[in-house]
Amino acid sequence: MTSDSSAPASVSAISPVTADTTAHLQVRFKTESGRLLLLLPPEDATASGWADVLQQLKHRLNSGDRFWQPYTAVHLVARDRLLDVRQLQTIADTLTPYQLQLKRVYTSRRQTAIAAVTIGYSVEQHVPIAHLNPPTEAGQALADPLYLQTTVRSGVEIRHPGTVVILGDVNPGSSVVADGDVIIWGTLRGVAQAGAAGNSRSLIMALRMEPTQIRIATQVARAPETPPTQYYPEVAYVSSEGIRIARASEFSKARLLPQPT
Amino acid sequence: MSRIIVVTSGKGGVGKTTCTANIGMALARRNHRVAVVDADFGLRNLDLLLGLENRIVYTAIEVLTGECRLEQALVKDKRQPNLALLPAAQNRTKDAVTPEQMKQVVDEIAKSYDYVLIDSPAGIEMGFKNAVASAHEALVMTTPEIAAVRDADRVVGLLEANDIRKMHLIINRLRPAMVQQDMMMSVKDVQEILAIPLIGVIPDDEKVIISTNRGEPLVLSPNISLAGIAFNNIVRRLEGETIPFLDLTAAHDDLFTRIRRMFRNRN
Ligand SMILES: Nc1ncnc2c1ncn2[C@@H]1O[C@H](COP(=O)(O)OP(=O)(O)O)[C@@H](O)[C@H]1O
Ligand SMILES: [Mg+2]
Repeated sequence: MTSDSSAPASVSAISPVTADTTAHLQVRFKTESGRLLLLLPPEDATASGWADVLQQLKHRLNSGDRFWQPYTAVHLVARDRLLDVRQLQTIADTLTPYQLQLKRVYTSRRQTAIAAVTIGYSVEQHVPIAHLNPPTEAGQALADPLYLQTTVRSGVEIRHPGTVVILGDVNPGSSVVADGDVIIWGTLRGVAQAGAAGNSRSLIMALRMEPTQIRIATQVARAPETPPTQYYPEVAYVSSEGIRIARASEFSKARLLPQPT
Repeated sequence: MSRIIVVTSGKGGVGKTTCTANIGMALARRNHRVAVVDADFGLRNLDLLLGLENRIVYTAIEVLTGECRLEQALVKDKRQPNLALLPAAQNRTKDAVTPEQMKQVVDEIAKSYDYVLIDSPAGIEMGFKNAVASAHEALVMTTPEIAAVRDADRVVGLLEANDIRKMHLIINRLRPAMVQQDMMMSVKDVQEILAIPLIGVIPDDEKVIISTNRGEPLVLSPNISLAGIAFNNIVRRLEGETIPFLDLTAAHDDLFTRIRRMFRNRN
């Protein structure tokens, strides 16, 4: 990607992204008044088969390694997912090496509730609607940022209804899709999409920008055919002519300092 | 405890089978009891590379169905009694075996061998799952090509998801001259993407193909080639030795340094 914000990146518009938030929810941790909530995607979300859910859970646990406090109680928010005894046990076993303990299960399914009780977890069958079903009207707040320390490898897709921070590289063949900003403290070689729900003021930042493709809201840019000889930390943003890339140092100056007249 | 190591890559044709045969043989020559397991059902060829094809009577399938005992299926190498091969079935589809069954057989083998090397098929489907089911560690193979590296990256992610954390990278078929002309990814380029520890770089070498056709692993050859040394070095690093990496570009460097020296002397 070019470091010169006056040189256009190749730009084109794409069809507006449908703001269907539940369709791409993934496994996610969330702290709420001292408790750690483990949110599972609803049954009808894309890529939410049991194997996907388990893989996402492992990935999230692995990438947050440093942050888990020993003996934290985990409350599983299973939504409308059907979980049997074996699956609940697998979730508990997956948490154990991180010293996280499954304590309580929230579910809207009777079978899941029975399974949870059978192996000794406390169960709440009435989901606290407020933080589980995001309001469907416009003006919806973003989720808390997702912070992952990991290499995002080929075949992996990270989706999050907020800002995503990756401490590591985003490799070719992978993608990061955020409703907020995408911040990569590493090299971006895969696909990054910011403002996926339509916010064109979203940004994509990387220590080294070598993306396959970047998208912000409805705009798309590809990497230039000839790679630059030198790389700098850069910021991608939407200008009136489409996606622009600026050196991080110049981008923040331009934004923060009063423009010379 | 024995070490169960899967040799895997995602992409086909990058040298998994070649590597399994050579590393298996080199380990056996260092006085370890080694079993190599062909997990490439349907397209087996580890037996060919080891020159053991004509001695196969039973395969993993017969062991699983109880038609024979494990010891009957294991083919002992006549050159190297420390080495045994568990052949894959030629005529069955890859779905004839489940990961649980595969694990059962490999764990059984591990009871009487120091090393079990599992040669995995290409792809990330059932055959891959079978191959990794019982592995404690992995040798991830790639060639310095974009597609191969991309697939290897995918495989590293899947190994992590399968709780296999101990992984080493082998880069095969490197052509130093091409790297120097910027026509091939360098070792550093590959490492930068895959970000797992490097355990070996094997040059592209026609002797590898010759040895494949003879069913005679390179590491057995009396005047050993550069690729053969590279395999031996991988084995020594596997066993914890610190061995400097071969300077595959030596010939070119010599030339360059010589020219540079020439210029310097003129000034
Ligand atoms: N370092 C090398 N130099 C030259 N040829 C090689 C090398 N490594 C492997 N090959 C050749 O590449 C082909 C594929 O190797 P193989 O081990 O069967 O790959 P895989 O098991 O990954 O499909 C074989 O013909 C083999 O002889
Ligand atoms: Mg093979």
